[in-house]
Amino acid sequence: MNLEEHSVVFAVGTLALILLAASPTLSLVLSFPSGKAKFTEFWVLGPNHMMEDYPFNVRVNETYRVFVGVGNHMGSSSYYAVYVKFRNQTQPLPDALNSTPSSLPPLYEYQVFVADEATWETVLTFKILGVSRVRNSTLVGDVSINDSVFFLNSTALWDSKYSGFYYQMFLELWVYNTTSQSFQYHNRFVAFWLHMTI
Amino acid sequence: MRRELVSVLRYSLVLLMILVFASQFSIFLTFAEVSEDKAASDLTNAEEAVASAFEVVLDAEQSGANVSGLLVRLNEAGGFLAQANMSYSAGNFEEVAQLAHLSQSIAEEVKGEAYELKNLAQSENLRLMSFTMMGSIVGVVLVVLGSVWGWRAFRRSYYRRVLKMKPEVVSDEP
Repeated sequence: MNLEEHSVVFAVGTLALILLAASPTLSLVLSFPSGKAKFTEFWVLGPNHMMEDYPFNVRVNETYRVFVGVGNHMGSSSYYAVYVKFRNQTQPLPDALNSTPSSLPPLYEYQVFVADEATWETVLTFKILGVSRVRNSTLVGDVSINDSVFFLNSTALWDSKYSGFYYQMFLELWVYNTTSQSFQYHNRFVAFWLHMTI
Repeated sequence: MRRELVSVLRYSLVLLMILVFASQFSIFLTFAEVSEDKAASDLTNAEEAVASAFEVVLDAEQSGANVSGLLVRLNEAGGFLAQANMSYSAGNFEEVAQLAHLSQSIAEEVKGEAYELKNLAQSENLRLMSFTMMGSIVGVVLVVLGSVWGWRAFRRSYYRRVLKMKPEVVSDEP
């Protein structure tokens, strides 16, 4: 190896050492995308904290409970709203294809702040307070959710296919958008059917 | 004549009573309306306060501050705000005002603390950045100086080695 070749090796080695010495500062200036997917988990579990035994055959004045949870993987703390809604078979659910929420008003709501990579979970208890049957339909008057009473006045017609009067309790997840400074439907909802037993 | 006067007086009295009753009803309606407007305004203020506090907390978090304690407090504010929203839907405007004020006061406290944490984190970041930059500059200067010194020493020894070399005659006979 002649002197010129040695000088190239020396220059390359020096450059590598300079980059190594400057790397702490470069890491402060340069940022690389993490490549991690940003998403939110949203779940409802049965009374035994499992994906089973969800309340189904419901009776008046009996208390039922489920667990509702949110897991934040959005890369920063997030501000969520969970809306609890109640519908009969003809009323609308959220539209997953168009990312639009149900037009029904919420009965109950949670507003929660969840740190990144953290979860929030709570118990949701509910009780049907008044049901009346008129010919081939039932009318649910009031519902108690977490000991607060809400006027509902929802009618369900007899479902001849499944032999019963059916309602659905569903929960929508909304997230606060700091750009628009408003809550936006996060295109996630969980639901369970209730077979009204009179 | 006297009978007519009595009749007029009687009608006047009835009219007066109706007017008094109507005015009270109108006052009641006005109060109810003001109360609803006030509740709506309190609710909007609380919502804005909580959202604004969250945005400052988010800034503090992005600056590297530990905001877990502030998130716990914001959850309290969010709980009161959710209850206020539900009370508003139910028409309990008195309750809305109380809950909205609670939520707003917690949010304002959190916002103040978040600003402090954010400033602390930013000054800490600045200090860390200056140390890092100083370290890097010193490192680069040392590497350059060391490399120049090393290169000169190597070149000197290389020339010395070359100059010490003696020509050798190699026979090319088989």
